[in-house]
Amino acid sequence: MSSKLQYKGRLSQIPIYLGKLFRMFVYQSDWKALPMAALIAGLVTFAVGANLFKTQEGTLQGGFALVCVCIWNGFFNSIQVICRERSIIKREHRAGMHISSYIASHMIYQAFLCIMQIVIILGVCRLMMVQFPEEGLITPWFLADLSITLFLITYAADMMSLAISALVHNTTTAMTVMPFMLIFQLVFSGGLVRLSGEAEKLTDLTVAKWGLQGICTLGNYNSLPMVALWNMIFRFRDIDIYGEKPIAAILNEIQSRDMLDLVLKRSGEYSQNPQYVYTVQNLSNCWIHLVGVIVVFALAAMILLEFVDRDKR
Amino acid sequence: MTGLTDYINLAYVAVTWLLTSAGLRKIFEKCGLMGAYAFIPGYRYRELGKCARKETEGRICMVMEVVAIVLNGVGKAIDGQTREGLLLELAALVLLIIMFILMIRIAIGLCRTFGVSRLWVFPWILVPELPALVWGYRGKYQPVNLNREDEDEILAGTAPAELEIPAGAGDIGTGAAREGSGLYIRLRERTVWDFLRKRYLLKDICLTIPNGSLVLLLGGSGSGKTTFVNAVTGYEKADADMILNGQDIYAEYEKMKYRIGFVPQQDLLRMNDTVIKTLKDAAELRLPSKMAEEKKRQKMENVMDTLGLTAGCHGLVSKKSGGQKKRISIGMELVSDPELFILDEPDSGLDGVIARELFQRLREVADSGRIVIAITHTPDRVVDMFDKVIVLARDSGRVGRLAFYGTPDEARTFFGKQTMEEIVRSVNRTSEGGEGRADEFVSRFALERTDSVTMKEAGKEGSADEQQTAV
Repeated sequence: MSSKLQYKGRLSQIPIYLGKLFRMFVYQSDWKALPMAALIAGLVTFAVGANLFKTQEGTLQGGFALVCVCIWNGFFNSIQVICRERSIIKREHRAGMHISSYIASHMIYQAFLCIMQIVIILGVCRLMMVQFPEEGLITPWFLADLSITLFLITYAADMMSLAISALVHNTTTAMTVMPFMLIFQLVFSGGLVRLSGEAEKLTDLTVAKWGLQGICTLGNYNSLPMVALWNMIFRFRDIDIYGEKPIAAILNEIQSRDMLDLVLKRSGEYSQNPQYVYTVQNLSNCWIHLVGVIVVFALAAMILLEFVDRDKR
Repeated sequence: MTGLTDYINLAYVAVTWLLTSAGLRKIFEKCGLMGAYAFIPGYRYRELGKCARKETEGRICMVMEVVAIVLNGVGKAIDGQTREGLLLELAALVLLIIMFILMIRIAIGLCRTFGVSRLWVFPWILVPELPALVWGYRGKYQPVNLNREDEDEILAGTAPAELEIPAGAGDIGTGAAREGSGLYIRLRERTVWDFLRKRYLLKDICLTIPNGSLVLLLGGSGSGKTTFVNAVTGYEKADADMILNGQDIYAEYEKMKYRIGFVPQQDLLRMNDTVIKTLKDAAELRLPSKMAEEKKRQKMENVMDTLGLTAGCHGLVSKKSGGQKKRISIGMELVSDPELFILDEPDSGLDGVIARELFQRLREVADSGRIVIAITHTPDRVVDMFDKVIVLARDSGRVGRLAFYGTPDEARTFFGKQTMEEIVRSVNRTSEGGEGRADEFVSRFALERTDSVTMKEAGKEGSADEQQTAV
């Protein structure tokens, strides 16, 4: 008689766990991820938001800061979610739970969290008067493109830490591994720390590199003015050569002829980065890489958690 | 000049390596191991770990030294100055750092084995050839703590005790369960592989449990109770036949796992979920998907009524008392009406009254025709409710075996004890405060069982002869 009985399959188990996760969101401290996202976004935009998408340096620094916020949020969303209930998973796996359903429900839930965080981050940016361009690259709207890019960065980092959470056996180990992963992401993003040779190849493995490339591409980095050179020359304006101040004279001449914007623009042209070229192909390439990271780490989490039965008592 | 320095370095390494090996050879011999292993790179750590009673550390060091040698060699071969070569040498360095820490542990273990001051750890780390030679060649240094009971676990199960168990004793019990009713257990062995070494966890356990039985599973710590129930449920498969009401648990595990309930020792519950949702999700997961929602709800309500969880069922699990959490944990399994219900220490952390109440409910579950097996460390307060007792004991080879299976009264007679706790004490090792009589009871039980079966079979043949005569 019982041989004909059917039990909940992989798909129909997903809503069970999804329901659990949303209840955890309400009853447990998971909801704290949202105000924390607002706080971090506020701090970052306060520090680097003024020149974001206005100058090359501002875009690079602001973009890097936004990437950091997204990776930080993603990591914190899921670093403990699996390892903290590993023994419960083991029990439920024994009772018929499918690991794929469990991970799938986490993926859906984490996607929800990430979307909420992106909405909050962009809301905070607006609140802090960050000026965004209007035209998008893939969609007609810049904000839509930016939202997708930030979501993919956050979600990729989220899936990465989900896989770590599936690998380690307790929260202490997870929290020890996390900073290491974070440092790797930031150092090897290739954004602020210039890398070369073999080290540069490693940047392709990071979420930060593709995220930063996506933001700078979207912000049309290569068409923006560069102010670093002007600021550097400006520091030397008082240099005296044979009783004259030639640098100050040149600077005054440029300003008096109202050519400052042109100079800044031309200096920007000399520091263009081929990685940030403003094309649909370039941005979609970044998105594809981020989606790749998401898929790889979600699969890794699934495979790693299949070994939960081998945990020692 | 550089060439000469290289030769001097090489000679120094060779001489120190040989001196250390020579010293270790004598140490190994003193510890009853083969001295020649001292000259095998890597493997000598494994043997040194055995001397130090730090076998795990020894084996890890063995693997690490081999890997470090390979990495270092490859790193040098592909030109140590290149980035790849340096990375390999860096990996070798990381391994050597880990080995350094493990070597400290081994050195501490060696000091304990030889009963000397722990200050010897420093020379073992800095100039290992010195203590190796001194300890190896001076008669004063002899292993005095080689058979330490507390760390003897590392050798547990590697060689089961050779007991006088009659051939075929394990085949007892091919009764009704095998054909259709009850639980038939025929466990030949449960082993694990640990670093290329086979360990026996359980051996030769055979019994039949009729439906409707409440069975007490007794045994000291480490006797293999949880391993046994995991093997019975098919969660950790053993070399065994497990037949539940005519169906092979192992062969049809994917289907059978829904008919077996297992309540773990700890309350593995999501504390920030409500009681009712916890049970509802458990029902969704464990009950057939085509079962009507109304029926599922009814089953859930029945379980909540049976376990006294109806009041406050919308509250969070974290707000419930220890006894209530335990009942929620039981309810999660009970909701699927399992034919075989196993509970690992369901009364741990509960006071006598609540524990008794809990077992009363388990008695009711058993009375409804199911098999309930419970492990408990405080059996005497509830033993009157049980139909049968299984006693597992670790033999002198640290392998879990069946020391008794029968009614509680039969158990008292068999062991000559009045209480279940005394029975456990009688089979526990002396180092655990027990009487260390496990081997005796395991052999005796197998012998008595074989005799009783032989007598039964003889009786059957006799009656058949009588019938023939009558014809």
